[in-house]
Amino acid sequence: MMAARAFRELRILIPFAAAIALWWGIKDGIGVSNTLLASPAQVWTAFVYLATHGVLAEYAATSLQMIGVAAAISFALGVPLGFAVGTNRYAARALEGTLRFLQGISGIAWLPLAILWCGFTHTTTLIVVIYTLIVPIVFNTMTGVRAIPENYVLALRSLGASRLRIVVDVYFPGALPSIVVGLRLGMGYGWRALIAAEMLVRQGGLGDLIFGARTFNQIDRIMVGMIAIGILYIVVDRLLVQPIESMTLARWGVLRR
Amino acid sequence: MASDKISVSGFRHFFPTEDGPVQATGTIDLAIREGEFVTLVGPSGCGKTTLLKAIAGFIAPSEGTILCDGKPVKGPGRERGVVFQELAILPWRTVRRNIAHGLEIAGASKAVRESTVARLVDLMGLAGFEDRYPHELSGGMRQRVAVARTWAADPEIILMDEPFAAVDAMTRLTLQEELGRLCATTGKTVFFITHSVDEAVFLADRVLVMTKRPGTIKAVLEVPRHGSGGRDWDSFTADPEMRNISEQVMHLVHAERGAR
Amino acid sequence: MTWVPERLVWRVLPAAPAAVLLAVWAIYWWIERPPPSTIPSIAAVVWIYGEQLLNGLLVADIAASLARLLGGAALGIVTGIAAGFVAGLHRPTAEFFNPLVTFFNAISGIVWLPLVIGWLGVGTALATFLIWNTVFFIVFQNTVLGVQLVPEVLELSVRTLGASRWETLKSVTLPGALPYILTGIRSGLGFGWRALIAAELVGANTGLGHMIFSGAEYHRADIIVAGCLAIGVIALAMDRWLLVPVERRTVRRWGLVTEARGN
Repeated sequence: MMAARAFRELRILIPFAAAIALWWGIKDGIGVSNTLLASPAQVWTAFVYLATHGVLAEYAATSLQMIGVAAAISFALGVPLGFAVGTNRYAARALEGTLRFLQGISGIAWLPLAILWCGFTHTTTLIVVIYTLIVPIVFNTMTGVRAIPENYVLALRSLGASRLRIVVDVYFPGALPSIVVGLRLGMGYGWRALIAAEMLVRQGGLGDLIFGARTFNQIDRIMVGMIAIGILYIVVDRLLVQPIESMTLARWGVLRR
Repeated sequence: MASDKISVSGFRHFFPTEDGPVQATGTIDLAIREGEFVTLVGPSGCGKTTLLKAIAGFIAPSEGTILCDGKPVKGPGRERGVVFQELAILPWRTVRRNIAHGLEIAGASKAVRESTVARLVDLMGLAGFEDRYPHELSGGMRQRVAVARTWAADPEIILMDEPFAAVDAMTRLTLQEELGRLCATTGKTVFFITHSVDEAVFLADRVLVMTKRPGTIKAVLEVPRHGSGGRDWDSFTADPEMRNISEQVMHLVHAERGAR
Repeated sequence: MTWVPERLVWRVLPAAPAAVLLAVWAIYWWIERPPPSTIPSIAAVVWIYGEQLLNGLLVADIAASLARLLGGAALGIVTGIAAGFVAGLHRPTAEFFNPLVTFFNAISGIVWLPLVIGWLGVGTALATFLIWNTVFFIVFQNTVLGVQLVPEVLELSVRTLGASRWETLKSVTLPGALPYILTGIRSGLGFGWRALIAAELVGANTGLGHMIFSGAEYHRADIIVAGCLAIGVIALAMDRWLLVPVERRTVRRWGLVTEARGN
């Protein structure tokens, strides 16, 4: 039994083994130059070097800290704003178009302006990432609140509930699945915006690591950075965001639209 | 008239739309005595729900006054509970926490909440389902929870808007008998809206028949009760007097359909 | 009789935030007179449009960006749907590739830039690759999901009518999966548009991304703001005139999606 389970867990490594074999085949079979593609062995060596010298940890920590701070701020500002807009039909009417418009201007497009205002600093990166994260959160909170059946609210009012009570008991849990969808989407956009911003701002972070390595043609380091970016994104998504989503959906039977 | 629990006089309502106001109801006058079970039957779109929402305090009437215990209604209140047609119990609360919600809002102690829930779970046949979420229950079970939640808050008046419309026919018969029994034991004043003639007569002390839109009340029929406790369908269908009243109501309702 | 002004208010409400923003912007600029490298005047932004329209640069930038998006997204959609059908119809294939897809989706788009810049150089090929890379995974994942969720009974019932495997695929599986595919395309274009702008900031000499980046180099906030607004307008126009109509003519007409309720 245990062996069978371990095997099933290990099975997800098979596709990766195949991909690495293919990668190695292309590299050595065709003889691609080191300035275009590094071999798995070279990437491993670079990884060991970066990891043992604390470089990787430092750059990764910067990125994770940025995305964490940005997500916290976006959540704290975006959810109340979404409630305010979603519960008032005039506010919803007024802001829906504007929010859609802002969603079309990606956060990274504001980077040049943010650089003019705040220079090449962490603040600039934060502005861009928060902007990227907050729009989908506000938007999805708003849609989530507006999709709550009116009867839920009326029933609670006839039970004598106050406005705050209705927010806590109806709006928040009712909109939560939608909020989490917004958060996941925002993290998808935000993580990429962060990497892109780090490439241009050059104040640390994994984007800085891979873009800096480009300058010196260190393909092996670029690839180590890419793999780190992928793994960290999956870890954040799987460990933080997905559990909330599946918990609320499975327990309440609320279907995601 | 002093014992009128609800009194509606000169009520008329308009809804604003992009093309100007639309008349939702004609002029309506009615009075409901304490402890009485009044049903209102009428064609769809006649303004039944509008009237109920106005009594509940969710909408302010365009014209006329609504008094509850002699005081004008200004918004929803704990003394008037509402059971909705569509399920309005919260999917993220268990059966237990849904039923106790009104008491929780009122700040009742845990002991009171638990004993009330236990009593209603027993009364509504929900035993064993206390910790389930609504999506794990059948439609009939969910509507029982909705009824229990309203009763648990112990309002003086209960307003019901086609509560059994979405439930399958067999379950509906059971729920109607259960509701009759529940009202007989608790002595609540109930105002119940339906488009089913049988349901209206079966449950009522008094049946009001409404005209089509904009609706007014065209007839009032008393339904006498013999003995205490709720009615049951077996003796109801066997009783010629009841059959007679049902036919009268049926004719009144059909006339509205023909006039369309 | 309050509904007439109410109706008017309702009509103009969507324009309110923009009007307020413009007013605040104008007043602030009037009082503070900030240097043009931080906040431009409204007139300066309008002027940029006039100037760039006249010298043709704006049109050229927009055309370059749209061509890249179109090329990359078309590639991504076609390859994504094709691969999605293969994986969706054959469960072992889907299960085998699933971990790889998760990983490559996590690094899709801009993350590839430093590596691929060495392969393709700066310009259209690079941007197209990044967009393809972004759109492909989103369309692929949604297609797989859509194909897998088509009720088997629908496929079987058409097979019993004598339809061939190919016929069934065309008349049952594809329309059945379409809502998911369209969701994937819509979401993919959203990500793709972002990836494009990011790619053009660093890796292009034309396009809207390059336009705003050059604004930063010359300390010209007016160019940046003008570019950002153009980016937003194009994204909005694409959604409204391309994706929403497609959705309305297919999925919504079949009643496969219900619109969000709410009043």
